[in-house]
Amino acid sequence: MVALAIARQTVREALRRRVMWIFLVIGVFLIALGPVFGFLNPRDSQVVLKSLGLAAILLAGLFITIVTCIYLIPVEIERRTIYTVLSKPVQRYEFVLGKFLGGFATVFVNIAAMGIVFLAMLWMQSPNHKVPPEMVKGVMLTFFQMMLLAALAIFFSTFATPVVNFFLSFAIFLVGNLSTVTESLTTNRNPLVSGVGRVIHYLLPNFGNFNIQNSIIHPQIELKNVDAFIMQNIAYAFIYSAVLLILAILIFDRREV
Amino acid sequence: MAAAISIQGLTKKYVDVWQKQEVVAVNNLHLEVEEGEIFGFLGRNGAGKTTTIKMLLGLIFPTAGDATILGRPMGDNNVKRELAYLPEETYFYDSMTGWDLLDFYARLFRIPEPERSRRVKLALEKVRLQPDAWKRSVRGYSKGMRQRTGIAQALINDPKLLFLDEPTSGLDPIAHAELRDIVASLKDEGKTVFLSSHQLADVELICSRVAIIHNGKLLTTGRIKDLTAGERTEIIVQGKELTNGVMDKLKALVPIVEPVYDHTDESGSREPVPTGKLRLSSDDNEQTTAVIDLVRSAKGTIISVVPHKRTLEDVFVETVRKEGI
Repeated sequence: MVALAIARQTVREALRRRVMWIFLVIGVFLIALGPVFGFLNPRDSQVVLKSLGLAAILLAGLFITIVTCIYLIPVEIERRTIYTVLSKPVQRYEFVLGKFLGGFATVFVNIAAMGIVFLAMLWMQSPNHKVPPEMVKGVMLTFFQMMLLAALAIFFSTFATPVVNFFLSFAIFLVGNLSTVTESLTTNRNPLVSGVGRVIHYLLPNFGNFNIQNSIIHPQIELKNVDAFIMQNIAYAFIYSAVLLILAILIFDRREV
Repeated sequence: MAAAISIQGLTKKYVDVWQKQEVVAVNNLHLEVEEGEIFGFLGRNGAGKTTTIKMLLGLIFPTAGDATILGRPMGDNNVKRELAYLPEETYFYDSMTGWDLLDFYARLFRIPEPERSRRVKLALEKVRLQPDAWKRSVRGYSKGMRQRTGIAQALINDPKLLFLDEPTSGLDPIAHAELRDIVASLKDEGKTVFLSSHQLADVELICSRVAIIHNGKLLTTGRIKDLTAGERTEIIVQGKELTNGVMDKLKALVPIVEPVYDHTDESGSREPVPTGKLRLSSDDNEQTTAVIDLVRSAKGTIISVVPHKRTLEDVFVETVRKEGI
């Protein structure tokens, strides 16, 4: 209940941040640009709308998640609002969990808003007014990808400044999206390179697996069981986020405020 | 009477890694606060008052020492149900209304509805925040309204022990008096108040005991009645010869020797103007006589000799000055 009260308050504060609304508007604007490409033939137009829509949700979601979550804990410490919270019977884990849930809920609202616009555009542009199910899955996977990113940003925010956190979260997100590159490093003949490659590949979160647009852009890559792949990624996001949150709680528990 | 707070050797050191310096914010503090009393915790800015309170609340961790609060270890989450804290500045979520803010804090105590709403209303009424402000954003509140809201959030759980850090600083006289009376009324409700304040007149009025700390070290503690016992004689003297050598002798005789400045602003200058007079103060009759003899022998003039009842301010200034500022 305490974590939920903190989460509720966090959402209220987060939704007041203008920068988040700017990214949301940019995201929706990019999705709405889809029909502009209607001059292409219907098949290409659908591909462009799908790719552009998912990419817009990913990009806007990425910035919304980072700018929302990197500030959640440091702002409380900087403005000293944390004094009146932690002097009450609030465990530090409840505080971190509340902040994460609040950030997570804010990101959910934003991705849901962009997702609804995106799916509505697809529905309108489709000749038989059907929404491709893989696009719903794509939006859903982006959401879980952002959940993992939110946990990463919350983890860094327990010990890093927002500026450092911004670059760290952003860099890890980029490297985590290049899982095919990092995987190739693990088989390098040089033991040092392969060792570093292994650490990067297995330790850093694999954000690349959440990008369903890879299969749109590269339709030759065919997954045997898409549903199992999605479930596996969702489970991965939950487990990795839980580990990050446990580490964040352990660090924050020892932090002076 | 049982101890509400018992501090044993509490120490907080900060290490500046880059300058290889160690700063001792609180130094081996021993203190007992009894249940049901309003205890004044006094010290200059940076003396270690807030650091001590933050350690007791578990916001920061001591380097050494220990403390118990209401019989439980400091920082214990269960004991926090019985505590309240008003920080020096009222740091709030400014977008929230006064009502929502208190509702949020009540949720942190897991107080269910409808009890939560009842407590919020009760707390806002107790601090006399105008009802038309309850549903307004805290951002638009005046300093006095914010401070009232701060005390209201501290009362939301009907605490046994309150830590109040400068609850009346920066308020207009009416708000100041009202909030001071609210703090004083807490004693009648059987609550213990640990009051950190620079408003020594308030402390003298509402506290039963005080502790004075300086540079993290406890200088003195005791009942205000005992600390302010006895009279102090203030002597104002004037004379050209007094500055030449006699000054050192005067300083050796009495604890307080200071020049008198004219603070009236007739010339339009804002700077205090030296009057050429000296103010000497002593609580010892023999010292007073010796001062008068010395001034006369140096051909100085005695302007006035006025006995004063010692105030807490006198005690504070003397105690801290003895330590060296």
